[in-house]
Amino acid sequence: MTTPGSLDLRAVGKTYAVDGRPLTVLQDIDLRIEPGEFLAIVGASGCGKSTLLRLIIGLDDGYDGDILLDGHRITGPGLERGIVFQEHRLFPWLTVEENVGIGLEATSVPAAEKRRAIREHIDLVGLSGFEKAYPYQLSGGMAQRAAIARGLVNRPEILLLDEPLGALDSLTRVHLQDELLRIWTQENVTMLLVTHDVEEAVYLADRVVVMEPRPGRIRRILPIDLPRPRNRAAPAFAAVKETIIQELRR
Amino acid sequence: MPSDLIAAERGAWRPMLTMRRAPRRPERTAWLTERAAALLLPLVVPAVLLALWQLSATHGWVSVQVLPPPALVAQTLFDLLWSGDISGNLWISLRRILSGFLIGGLAGMALGIAMGLSPRVEHYLSPLFRAVAQVPSLGWLPFLILLVGIGEPLKFLIIAKACFVPMALNSFEGIRNIPPSFLEVARVFRLSRRALVLKVVLPATLPPVFSGVRLALSHAWIALVIVEMLASTEGIGYLTAWGRTLFQVDVVMAGMAVIGVVGLAMDAGLKRIERRLRRWSPARA
Amino acid sequence: MPAAPPFLHAPGPRIRRGAVLPAALLLAWAAAHSGLVNGHLLVPVEKVALVPFLDPQGIHLWPGLAASLARMAAGFTIGAAAGLLLGLSMGLSRTADRLFGPTLHAVRQIALYAWIPLLTAWFGNGEPAKVVFIALSAFFPMVLNTQEGLRTVPAAYREVARVLTLSRWQLLRRVLLPGAMPSIAIGVQLALIYAWLATVGAEYAMGLGRGVGTLLSEGREHFRMDIVIVGVLTLALVGFAINAAFGRIFARALRWRGPAR
Repeated sequence: MTTPGSLDLRAVGKTYAVDGRPLTVLQDIDLRIEPGEFLAIVGASGCGKSTLLRLIIGLDDGYDGDILLDGHRITGPGLERGIVFQEHRLFPWLTVEENVGIGLEATSVPAAEKRRAIREHIDLVGLSGFEKAYPYQLSGGMAQRAAIARGLVNRPEILLLDEPLGALDSLTRVHLQDELLRIWTQENVTMLLVTHDVEEAVYLADRVVVMEPRPGRIRRILPIDLPRPRNRAAPAFAAVKETIIQELRR
Repeated sequence: MPSDLIAAERGAWRPMLTMRRAPRRPERTAWLTERAAALLLPLVVPAVLLALWQLSATHGWVSVQVLPPPALVAQTLFDLLWSGDISGNLWISLRRILSGFLIGGLAGMALGIAMGLSPRVEHYLSPLFRAVAQVPSLGWLPFLILLVGIGEPLKFLIIAKACFVPMALNSFEGIRNIPPSFLEVARVFRLSRRALVLKVVLPATLPPVFSGVRLALSHAWIALVIVEMLASTEGIGYLTAWGRTLFQVDVVMAGMAVIGVVGLAMDAGLKRIERRLRRWSPARA
Repeated sequence: MPAAPPFLHAPGPRIRRGAVLPAALLLAWAAAHSGLVNGHLLVPVEKVALVPFLDPQGIHLWPGLAASLARMAAGFTIGAAAGLLLGLSMGLSRTADRLFGPTLHAVRQIALYAWIPLLTAWFGNGEPAKVVFIALSAFFPMVLNTQEGLRTVPAAYREVARVLTLSRWQLLRRVLLPGAMPSIAIGVQLALIYAWLATVGAEYAMGLGRGVGTLLSEGREHFRMDIVIVGVLTLALVGFAINAAFGRIFARALRWRGPAR
């Protein structure tokens, strides 16, 4: 039950008050994410998928039910969970190297070890040679790579991805999807991806969670049993994609 | 479009800032405390200062000549208001501002527009203009005193110059910063020159020009105080300096209060109009 | 004149055209002196240039300038440091903002020079009143820009800091201060310019002691247009130099913002 990197959501709900009236954003989310799994959540706008991610990372407090990481209830942010936002959110005043290093700022890792980890993760995301570059000098894809390196540098058990490729052009996007898969295999980290792109979810994930809005609930969980590397043009791929799109339309 | 979806989705967690969770009892108390803090905390510093001031007056920590008691300052302010000293001097000051602003500001606007529309005009005039702008009102003061004496023309020139510079700069930038894409759109729709000016150039330049008005008046007010204190025999700045000459600090303080209130009123009023003019632009640029 | 507003004009013969008017003015000045007008107000161009070096009064410019700059440095240091501290506390703590903000914004509305009569009544016409006045003028831009800088650090960056479990100190040092730095830099630059103007203004208004402002007011009293012109030019040139120097320093310190700003 407590292998590192397992995430357990039990009857999770979230309610805000809007103008005095309660608004339920999430309701009865039950989900278990296995260690090392790549799980994708898709859903229309307002289905609360980003809210769910914010609850798991610990930015939004006060929720109903339990979110358990390796058996412990989540209250607030922690380094065992990393996140990559849609906008890269690199600090513009830090170089790539320093931006990745900031992920280790709150740890007591010795300096030499830090330098090694930073170098390794810059290599991992393929940004060698850009260590001293400032964010304004990077393309969108490169910036997002640096953000991934920052999310992984302190070796979290689970990496949350909040539509990390959503703002990129489609070519860069397809390329970075492959990179994500490579990083996932290489780092052996649990990944939880929120996306509105069904194809992306099917291409990447072991399982796809389809959510429906108002209030945000899980409609269906589909295992994707296609062998990797997946072929987007294959009929089986298209069939799974179509199933999910149908679920979203209902 | 995906990006729209994302934006809407993101709206869902904006609650962090704009919405509050369902009000439970402890949160209600927190909300009340919050309101009270917002209302009362700003009063603490003035209250403490006033109390210290009063204490100092009661116990004679410093001489009354240097720091008259608050009640005396209030009394003086009231007397000066009642006797018409303040309104009379203020009226003179405001008239100076108005005439300086009308002439100087309009001239500045004309120059700014001319430089904005024609690069040739800009090439010829902008270096000289920038040199003139570089010298602050304070610098022009002794120079102009020698040229025109300390009469009314001096005040007019100083204030007109103070209005001229920001109006020229803002009108110029206003025209220069119209995005070329707007003009392309106008060309695509074959707008007439008249329509181009009315529908594109004017609306796009109005807000920066009005910012120029606000800047001009605030510069004019500062310049007015300088010139009235250093070279005048009437006006609100003179009244303040006159209090100093007589060593009546209560008059000085009353004068400062009036200068502050007028400055505040002018600034607040103009900012309000400015916001209205810019209401179509999302984040105030 | 081209028909459409020429927004995309090539930078033409700027320098030649720009020099025309100033040159014409100088010529007119020289011509006027060489015969037409004979007044003590129209001093010859070449004489003005030599005033700071040869004239027995004008030579006071140099010690005066040194004294003014020293005075400005003292006032600026006090005012900017106090402004930075208050701005930081107001930017970091809402309580501090509520305590001091409204009072500050009210007091700020008093045109700066209106403080001079009060300050001279309190501190006399000597050095203390001048330094306090300079400090006051450096104080306001520093407070406002520091607070504004901290306030406008995007919430997204604060969230990153929370996710990475940075401590309060790390948040301040790595996120808030660097994020506020562009605005603080503007504050410093404004504070310097204001302090310089206040220095000359205080000297001019209060008299006593050496300084560029004192030189100006003496020149005016003795109807020495040449000295007044030299003083005014010094006032403008020092302001220009401050802007240029700090523009350069900050451009380097803030190079992370990239060229397109």
